[in-house]
Formats: sequence, structure tokens, C-alpha cells
Amino acid sequence: MKVTICIGSSCHLKGSRQVIERLQALVTENGVADSVELGGAFCMKNCVNGVSVSVDGQIHSVKPDTVDEFFDTEILAKVK
Amino acid sequence: MNELCVDVGTMSLNKLGEQSCGDMVQMIRDGEDTVLVLADGLGSGVKANILSTLTSKIIATMIANGMGVDECVKTMIDTLPVCKTRGVAYSTFTIIRISGNETAEIIQYDNPAVILLRNGKNYDYPVTTRTISGKTIMESKVRLQCGDVFIAMSDGTIYAGVGETLNYGWQRENIIKFVEEHYDDNLSAQAVSSLIVDACNDLYQNKPGDDTTAAAIRVRHRQVVNLIFGPPQNPKDLNKMMALFFAKQGKHIVSGGTTSSLTAAYLGKKMETSIDYLDPEIPPIAFIEGVDLVTEGVLTINKALEYAKDFVSGNKLHQKWHSGKDGASQIARMLLEEATDINLYVGRAMNPAHQNPNLPIGFNIKMQLAEDLAKLLQEIGKTVNVSYF
Repeated sequence: MKVTICIGSSCHLKGSRQVIERLQALVTENGVADSVELGGAFCMKNCVNGVSVSVDGQIHSVKPDTVDEFFDTEILAKVK
Repeated sequence: MNELCVDVGTMSLNKLGEQSCGDMVQMIRDGEDTVLVLADGLGSGVKANILSTLTSKIIATMIANGMGVDECVKTMIDTLPVCKTRGVAYSTFTIIRISGNETAEIIQYDNPAVILLRNGKNYDYPVTTRTISGKTIMESKVRLQCGDVFIAMSDGTIYAGVGETLNYGWQRENIIKFVEEHYDDNLSAQAVSSLIVDACNDLYQNKPGDDTTAAAIRVRHRQVVNLIFGPPQNPKDLNKMMALFFAKQGKHIVSGGTTSSLTAAYLGKKMETSIDYLDPEIPPIAFIEGVDLVTEGVLTINKALEYAKDFVSGNKLHQKWHSGKDGASQIARMLLEEATDINLYVGRAMNPAHQNPNLPIGFNIKMQLAEDLAKLLQEIGKTVNVSYF
């Protein structure tokens, strides 16, 4: 599974770094590093709803305090 | 155009408690000719400032207009106001005149002798002495080589730490050893001046006993750096803008999320974006084959501009960006240190999502950044061309 986090100006200001760091930690904690590939992207044309995170091409809107929930429903549930 | 060019930088420290500096550096550039004059006025404070300002202005203007040293010195003596307490009109001076980016003439009166580094090592250039109007003037002529660094100083440098941290002050030999040890090929003239003046300030224990100035001229090859920042206002101009940008020789920096996606599409290459936050404030960089550096836009440029502002006013952040791997540090290195000629391609497209009063990345901010950056780079002595699309 390819998970891409937007690090463009707008998303950066809305917390890309915190989202990336939390996702990196969650991926390791849950032992799914083999099946989940994290990557970055500049601008997904969805700046208004940042932080934009795409999972296999579908764009989601994530905030630093909704990362855990997002990870459970959109990532963990799908790889397990 | 000669393949060589010069990079000039200067840094001063005021004597403790003084608001104006008694040392003054004037520079006049005219194509391939550069005249730099460093004058140190008698005493300190406003009086010294007036003396050194007059001296440096008069000499720089006269020399730049092709007049001889004799006339300059005579004019200076006739013009300078006489100090009431000391009964003399006096300001020391050092003149470095670069002609056609081929030769340097050094004319010195009573300042510490100019240091010339060649290949990073001290080079003893020949000196002849003569007397003009009772003043002993030292004259030299040197053929320029790439990598030559000329350092002119006021005597505040060699008196640094006298009787406090050092017995005899920081003598010229010590300064030579210091700059030889710190020399590296990429060190800008500004960095060289700041290094010396910072070291003096340390020796003075932050309480300078005299006005202290260093001015450096570095001879180097031309290096063009091109920076594209933002997509064009009219999407139809994209190909034109890209074609002009990539037609330029030298290095290419692409700054901006949308801009880099458009660049990747134009080049038909894939863009790889990293997620390593090397500096927590600055979004990570990306990679596109054929582009030297790909960064986020407004935030990165804003940081690079901050580094550029600091560069001319103390250079306290030099260590940070000189070695930093984040986008802003890399841009700072390429623009401030590597580049002699800079072409800025500024796109005026407005990103609607950025027009949010809560986000410091709106259109006006972007345009202001581009303008400020261009102005500052020009002040630093770079040849800057800006094109708007």
C-alpha cells in the first residue's frame, strides 16, 4: 500500500510534519512496515482540506489529532 | 565578458559605546572595474565617521574616474576638516582597484597591510614606497588569479585583545594564520570579513576598544544560478517560461509545489519527494532529474531570505546554512555563496487555496518575497535579472 503525505506550503503549515512522524511511528508499532510505503508529495490540489494524505490514489484529509483514527480505519484495516 | 569576477564583502564593529563607526568602506563597481576604499578616521564616533566618510567617498570617486593617487591624496588633505584637539586632518586609507577583472592595484596609507591569499595561502606581493605630500604611500600591482582573496583591515583588528586577552594584540601574522586555517574555496568575501571581525570581537570580549573593520575581495569564476518561483499567471505562458528558464546555463532551482509538478511534467520526468524533515520548519525537498534543487515555495524562500538578510548584518546564522541540508540552506548556499549571476523567474499565478488570512503564504507575500530577495542579492553585489510571468 502506498501512502503519500502532502508537504506543500499549505499542508506543511497545517501539520504535515506531525502527521508524518505519527504515521511513521504507527507503521513501526503495528509491524506493517513491509506492506505500507510512506512517501511525500508537493501539492495534491487539495490545499483547503489539508493535510492531504492519499492512500492508493484516494485523497483523505487528516489533521495531527486525527492521525490515529485515520491510520486504524484507512490503513491498518485495509492491510490486515 | 571576462571569465573572472570579484565578490566583495565587508563587516564593521563599532568601538564600545559609539553609535557610528569611524571606519568606512566605499565600493564603486563599473562593469569589470571595482574600486574599494577602506578609510579609518582619526579618533572615534561622529568625528571619525565624518573623516572616514569624506576620505573614502573622495578617493573612491576620484579613482573610479581614472585620476591618479597623487591627486587623490592632495585633494583629501585639502578637504578634510582639521581636528581641533589634535590640530591635524587625518584618516588612513587602503585602496584596492580591480581593473578589467585582470589586475589589482593596492594603494595603502597607514592601515594594516592588505593580506593576499593565493590558493588559500598567504602571498607576499611586491610593494614599492613613495612619498606624496609628506605621506608615505605603499603601492603594489598584482595580476589576478582565480581564488585570490584580498583582505583590507582597519587597525582595530590588530589591536584586538591588546593587554586583555593577548599581550600584543592580534598581529597581522596571527590574522594570516587564522584565515589560512579557516579558508575554503567556497567561503564568500562576506564570510571572510565576518570571520575576522567576529574573532576580533571575541578577543575584545565583546567590548571593542576601537572601530574594527575587515573588507574582502575574492576573485572567482562566474557562476550562474537560475531560480523559478511560482507558475505563470497565464497558464499559456508555461512552456515559454520553462523554455527560457532551462535555456540558461548554470544551476537550476525549482521552488514551489505546483511549480515543481509542472516542471516535472515539462521535462517528462518523475518527481520524488522525500519526507525527511531536516529542519522542522522547512518542508522536505524533492528530486527531479535535470534540476539541481527542488523545494517547496514560500516557506523555504522566506527562510532563505532570512539567511540572506543575516548574511549582510552579522552573518550569525552562517554555520547553520553553510552546512544545512534542508531546502532553505541549500538555496542560501547556491544564491549567496556559489552564484555571481542570478536569474529569477517569478510566476504570478495565484493559488486560491493560499488566499486564507490565517496562512502566511498569500499572493502578496509571495511577490514581496521575490522583490525583497532580488533587492538584497543586488545589494550583496550579485548581478540579478528578474523576469515576471
